[in-house]
Amino acid sequence: MKAPTVDYVRPRSLAEAVDLLARSGGEGRVLAGGQSLIAMMNLRLASPGLLIDIARLPELTGASDDADAVTLGACITHAAIEDGRMPDPSRGLMPRVAASLAYRAIRNRGTIGGSLALSDPAAEWPAVLTALDAEVAVRGPNGQRSLKCAGFTTGIFETQLAPEEIIESVRIPKLSVDARWGYVKLCRKAGEFANALAVAIAERGRGHCRVVLGVANGAPLVLDQTSQLISNGGRDDLRSAVVADLDRASDRHFDEFQCNLHTAAAMRAVQQVLQ
Amino acid sequence: MPDDIRGVGASLLRKEDDRHLHGRGEFVADVKLPGTVEVAFLRSPHAHARIKSISVPPEARGRVFTAADLPRVKPVRVVSHSTGAKSPPWPPLATDKVRYVGDAIAACIAPSRGEAEDLANAVAVDFEILDAVIDAPRDMRGSRHPVHEQWGDNLYIEHTLEGGDIEAAARAADVTLTREFRMQRQSGAPLECRGVLAYRDHRLDEVVLYASTQTPHTVRVALAEILDIEERRIRVVAPDVGGGFGPKARLYPEEIVLAALALQLDHPVRWIEDRSEHLLTAAHTRDHHYKVTAYADRQGRILGVDAEIVVDAGAYGLWPQGPYHEASMVARALPGPYTIPNYRSRHYTVATNKTPLGPYRGVGRPGACFVIERLVDEIARAVGREPNEVRTLNLVRPEQMPFATIGGLSLDNGDYPASVELCAELLDLPAVRARQQHREPDGRKIGVGFATFAEQTAHGAAEFASRGAAIIPGFESCTARVLTDGSVVLMVGIQSHGQGLETVLSQVAAEELGIDPGSISVRHGDTESTAFGFGTFASRSMVMSGGAVARASRMLRDKLCRIGAHLLQCDVAAVRCTDGVVAGPQGSVTIAEIAKVAHLRMDGLPPGVDPLLDATATYEPAISTGVFSYATHGAVVAVDPETCFIELLDYAVAEDCGTMVNPLLVEGQIRGGVVQGIGTALFEEIPYDEAGQPLAGTLADYLMPGAAEMPAIKIGHLHTPTPHTEYGMKGMGEGGAVAPPAAIANAVRDALSSIGAEVNETPITPRRVLAAIQKAHKL
Amino acid sequence: MTAIRLRINGAAVADDVPPRLSLADFLRERCNLTGTHLGCEHGVCGACTVLVDGEPARSCLMLAVACDERGIETIEGFAGDPVMAALRRNFHQHHALQCGYCTPAMLITARDLILRRRAASEREIRDGLGGNICRCTGYTNIVTAISEAAKEASDA
Repeated sequence: MKAPTVDYVRPRSLAEAVDLLARSGGEGRVLAGGQSLIAMMNLRLASPGLLIDIARLPELTGASDDADAVTLGACITHAAIEDGRMPDPSRGLMPRVAASLAYRAIRNRGTIGGSLALSDPAAEWPAVLTALDAEVAVRGPNGQRSLKCAGFTTGIFETQLAPEEIIESVRIPKLSVDARWGYVKLCRKAGEFANALAVAIAERGRGHCRVVLGVANGAPLVLDQTSQLISNGGRDDLRSAVVADLDRASDRHFDEFQCNLHTAAAMRAVQQVLQ
Repeated sequence: MPDDIRGVGASLLRKEDDRHLHGRGEFVADVKLPGTVEVAFLRSPHAHARIKSISVPPEARGRVFTAADLPRVKPVRVVSHSTGAKSPPWPPLATDKVRYVGDAIAACIAPSRGEAEDLANAVAVDFEILDAVIDAPRDMRGSRHPVHEQWGDNLYIEHTLEGGDIEAAARAADVTLTREFRMQRQSGAPLECRGVLAYRDHRLDEVVLYASTQTPHTVRVALAEILDIEERRIRVVAPDVGGGFGPKARLYPEEIVLAALALQLDHPVRWIEDRSEHLLTAAHTRDHHYKVTAYADRQGRILGVDAEIVVDAGAYGLWPQGPYHEASMVARALPGPYTIPNYRSRHYTVATNKTPLGPYRGVGRPGACFVIERLVDEIARAVGREPNEVRTLNLVRPEQMPFATIGGLSLDNGDYPASVELCAELLDLPAVRARQQHREPDGRKIGVGFATFAEQTAHGAAEFASRGAAIIPGFESCTARVLTDGSVVLMVGIQSHGQGLETVLSQVAAEELGIDPGSISVRHGDTESTAFGFGTFASRSMVMSGGAVARASRMLRDKLCRIGAHLLQCDVAAVRCTDGVVAGPQGSVTIAEIAKVAHLRMDGLPPGVDPLLDATATYEPAISTGVFSYATHGAVVAVDPETCFIELLDYAVAEDCGTMVNPLLVEGQIRGGVVQGIGTALFEEIPYDEAGQPLAGTLADYLMPGAAEMPAIKIGHLHTPTPHTEYGMKGMGEGGAVAPPAAIANAVRDALSSIGAEVNETPITPRRVLAAIQKAHKL
Repeated sequence: MTAIRLRINGAAVADDVPPRLSLADFLRERCNLTGTHLGCEHGVCGACTVLVDGEPARSCLMLAVACDERGIETIEGFAGDPVMAALRRNFHQHHALQCGYCTPAMLITARDLILRRRAASEREIRDGLGGNICRCTGYTNIVTAISEAAKEASDA
């Protein structure tokens, strides 16, 4: 199918982009990599009246590295992260995740901000950034605000982003030197959407351990009991902790098959940490 | 055979490659004509409904064409001579009813495809929704709203095939096994979707169709009849075609509508199908239900098989063959390459409110192979023997051939047990068995499975007549022409869409004429320039078209020798064609020189010899019941018991297709077929919901095998030439796709043998593996 | 209509296009560069892959208007490119194409793998080809061809 009629504008600054979006009467849609949006338009599942192209805005494609955290512009591509062209606060986790995402041609254009803004339940970045305790800076007509990634995604394709806001950057605290991480993406065909996704991070020194599941029929699911278990250095009863966490998530309506996948993904991600 | 390294038997590199490597291929969407207008179809969103009204916005009048706006278009009607066959008329644009999601209602035209789609969305259709028939086994005898009201039931055809005495087999059996099997509906999914460009050529007074089709000549036959135009005023061209595999070997409503539009309007019209449209409306394939009982003795010798086969054939029959062959092909192939003495098959072809079913690589054979090969493995387990022992016990042996199977196929020659051995060798079966003795470090379960089959190829009149076909693709044709400079053109009725026929057919002519294949052009796919032929499908082209090329080339060779002998002033028995010349005892004359005489200096011709070097021949093999290539496939899998994911660790094919004209291309066909078979086995399906909505609309849902999931495929060859064809070659294009579902299902069964889980449904998805494990735990 | 200026295969191109027009359709219909093929238009099959500013991208998922001031390379280009030449030669030698529909995109993707040194092993090559569907060949010969071309490139 061909995309429906649409208008297009390429603002020269983020402020201009925000202004265009605010004045678009709900018809405006931000275009970054386009790997999801154009596909949806080609399938006639989305028909915005105006595309506001932010992909090449310098404010959105830079990265900064301070003592505690790395800030990545929203329009940094998955490929740039994969290739290590960006400072990496995650001790290798983020490049590993980026490399597992779709296909190289998609990664060359798709952006971390775009992934967050869409929050496809099978997407990688929302779960990973939740596990990394990252924050997302968004800019709207009333200025900038900062939101925690954990909680930024509120449901399937739903976020805390207001209609007139644009994601500006993601700030990721640097993992400590003793940090260990595990990442498991289960899928049958390379590059397809995950069937199950688990990220485990253990920074015992800081007492910060988190196990997060993607593909969770909604927002990323933090496995609290499992996180607590590895925080305490435990590895016995790992399976029952995972199962208990999944049982508690009854509102997600996982069937037995999904539970098996989530359990396997979570256990394997944690095992990578515990090795 | 002459010691020519560029004729039959040479792994010649392909002539087709150059244009594709540089992006200079010419697929239908690449053909540009000024003034072309794009077509988008308005299609039914409902599986079954009456059309109460169609409202075209006033500004769109003249740009939206419904059935009423194209009165010259008659419904398509498949003719079948099989007893009891019912054939529904299929109006290319729906008239009173729509019968599947995607059924075309109107053609909308605009300067661009996007605008044509906008137009389609602006047309309002009022429907009265009816119950959808979606469960073929349940609804075949009738439903509240039958698919075709005048029928009284939902059966295109039913038939029983019997041989021997199945009741006696049942009584004598030590082992009785009953299983249900299912092959889910899928798409042939060539990478290039369909497309048609149609225009009026006023100079030649023709309507011309460029179409992505495997069968241009028969498309012309159909269009002439449906549009009531003489064939001499229709030209169909299949340019480069980006894969066909069967779904493009049928006539489609879009081809008819585009031709009608071209005739009615004064400018070229174009419809280029997109992937979602293809997944929705191009022929669907497979979609079989089976319930089968096998009877065996305690050695594992199969005494009889009793099968019920239901084919879910969708809402209409695709011309020319309709859906009638699928079930009967399964029925005839189900006894496999085995000496089974007693058999009964009751088979049913059911109309449902789904996309019409068409042929796809292997057609009925993958399903037949799936059933019988799974049963062989289960019988082996029941009698406590290795599956390959039971397989070999039941296989037809070389000394028994030709062998008439209880299904009615005449197996010509070959060493089936040797293929089993060779395949096991290629996989190093002892090493796999040894590996299975130890726990895998990652906890996965290793399994190995095999499947053997014989593939009927290049079958002709007898076979198609027995299927009740009204059109019998029983021969192929070739016009071979030497031009005045000695270069050669072969004009053939097949249509090469990846098989490399431009190369292999020139190898055949080179073999006969003693010239280099590089001096030979092959023209195919154009009704204008080729004698009538049926196209490429059913693993027929190498044998049929190759045979026609051989015959026509020999006719040319004989004439070249006559003229050459005359020019050399010697006896015609003393000359031969070799290395681009006609050579005699005292000298030679080049083919170019002879060609000049035959065209430009006919005063040099011997008496009684006419000018020109032009020969047309047809060919059919000496037997029309088909020549059978065969193979054993083997798969090694690792099954993750936690996630139920399956990884293919190894795959091997031990095959025999007689003489290989170009071994490089034969192996390409095998590998391509195997990966398609793996797609059927593990990934591809189009499920339908209760309302008749198909649920795989994009390639994100419809998973196709990619390089990362495929193993390197090992191939071993046996060589049993057939006496019934030129050079002893057999067809083999489809075989690769026949056995993978069976081999992989057997491997999964082997991997999970300690649990006793069986998956008897394709695709074998992790969910189905889990269900099988759960079922086994309950027993 | 929006005015765009870009470079295609090294040549400057200026045109006015509707914003909804994909880069793929712009190349095929406006520039008559039909070597780039459409197989799905939702980014999965890979047949439409071209280079945008030197990197493989899905031309079906890019708008022509978003390619203003960008450099595009299609299969019709790569004149004198040694890696592409090695790939073409090896695809031919190893029978790595049948119908040819996936081939232009396969070549462009393979060239990128070789240039990024991601074609050193069969596993790496197979993983790198995940985004390019071939329905005809079964991939074995494509992997072989790329592997051989990569060796030639690293020897050079």
